[in-house]
Amino acid sequence: MVVTCEHVWSEISNYFEGDVDPALKEALEGHLAQCPRCRSVRDGMRNVIDLYSDKAMFPLPVGFYPRLHGRLADQVEGRRISRRAWLVSVAVTGALAASAACAAALDRFAPRPLSEMSQPARRLPQRLVAIVDGGKMFHVPGCPFMHGKYHLVAAEEAVRRGFAPCTRCMRDALRSAGKVTPDFEGEESASGATEGK
Amino acid sequence: MTLAPRSDPGHEHEAALIVRIQSGERELFYELIRPYERRVFVIAFTILRNEADAEDVAQDAFLKAFKYLAQFRSESRFSTWLIQVAINEARQRLRKSHLEIMRPIADQENEDGTYTPRDFTDWREIPSEAVERKEIREKLIAALGSLAQKYREVFVLRDVEHMSIEDTAEALGISAGAVKTRLFRARLMLRDLLSSGLDGIWTTNSQIPKGTKPWS
Repeated sequence: MVVTCEHVWSEISNYFEGDVDPALKEALEGHLAQCPRCRSVRDGMRNVIDLYSDKAMFPLPVGFYPRLHGRLADQVEGRRISRRAWLVSVAVTGALAASAACAAALDRFAPRPLSEMSQPARRLPQRLVAIVDGGKMFHVPGCPFMHGKYHLVAAEEAVRRGFAPCTRCMRDALRSAGKVTPDFEGEESASGATEGK
Repeated sequence: MTLAPRSDPGHEHEAALIVRIQSGERELFYELIRPYERRVFVIAFTILRNEADAEDVAQDAFLKAFKYLAQFRSESRFSTWLIQVAINEARQRLRKSHLEIMRPIADQENEDGTYTPRDFTDWREIPSEAVERKEIREKLIAALGSLAQKYREVFVLRDVEHMSIEDTAEALGISAGAVKTRLFRARLMLRDLLSSGLDGIWTTNSQIPKGTKPWS
């Protein structure tokens, strides 16, 4: 078998791989023994393969292994929360604890009623009360201490207008705050005022 | 490509390790990847041509390998699968970066054409310590980096990491024939790039006269 230079070049890589049949290999080596150009190609390619095979060719960055294992540790060892996430969770927990403490402190300094009857306005029953024009107190409808024509308004509205709770009829109403008697439901108008008798 | 299961002891050891990791012995993952830590970095570096990006991609590849280990099928080698993961990570990083714009012109070459050597310098044997010289190593890395990505990938798997032609083909998702063709061109291109670029460290001064070249 006779081979040309071009044939040698096209097969030289396979020759290094040992991927040529014996007859071709013999022909290639015969040509190489006589052809300086093809020997240059062969020797150059061999040098390239040798050079890049050297372990020293691609040195690892300093600290490569510790950084790699450090990054893997979170996943592999089950430390699923990263340092940053851990710091964030601590900060959030602290903020929640602080807000809870503030809320407790505010509640501690909130006004306390001095007696059952001295309820702060914010604790007025959410119900309608009866007021009489020209009067000074608001009552539960039907209170015997209320005289004249009355109309119904919300308790808060009555307080806003300067009415004070009737110490007789409202006592029971305040004690049972939250237990709104069904008598008043349905009488409330959009304006919060309903004419009584 | 799906290859038949290997029966070599290394493959069986890895398969046993993977089963144990999947059943909860997660720390064994370190042992599983130890032989490939350097290899994954070198492959990523060859593709990305940047040390910091390569390290980052190598870490991402190992994390992804751990995350998706349950999906690994033992029909192929763990090393090949891991390298596929690393190559995909590096390619994704390359696409995201502006490096893609700087893609060498050689990427667009038709690999079916034959490659003709351009230089016939008489090469002599390389000193064994040559690569330990930083300036030589930098020139070698620069020469490899100037090749098109498809040639770099094949060259690093076969000639740097000594993977077989079949494993290289499987890792890159190409045929064995394409591996051989790209390898041939990569080797010859590197030879031409380096023959005159290293201050004669391994070439003699005896250039072959032009008149003797086959085409002159």
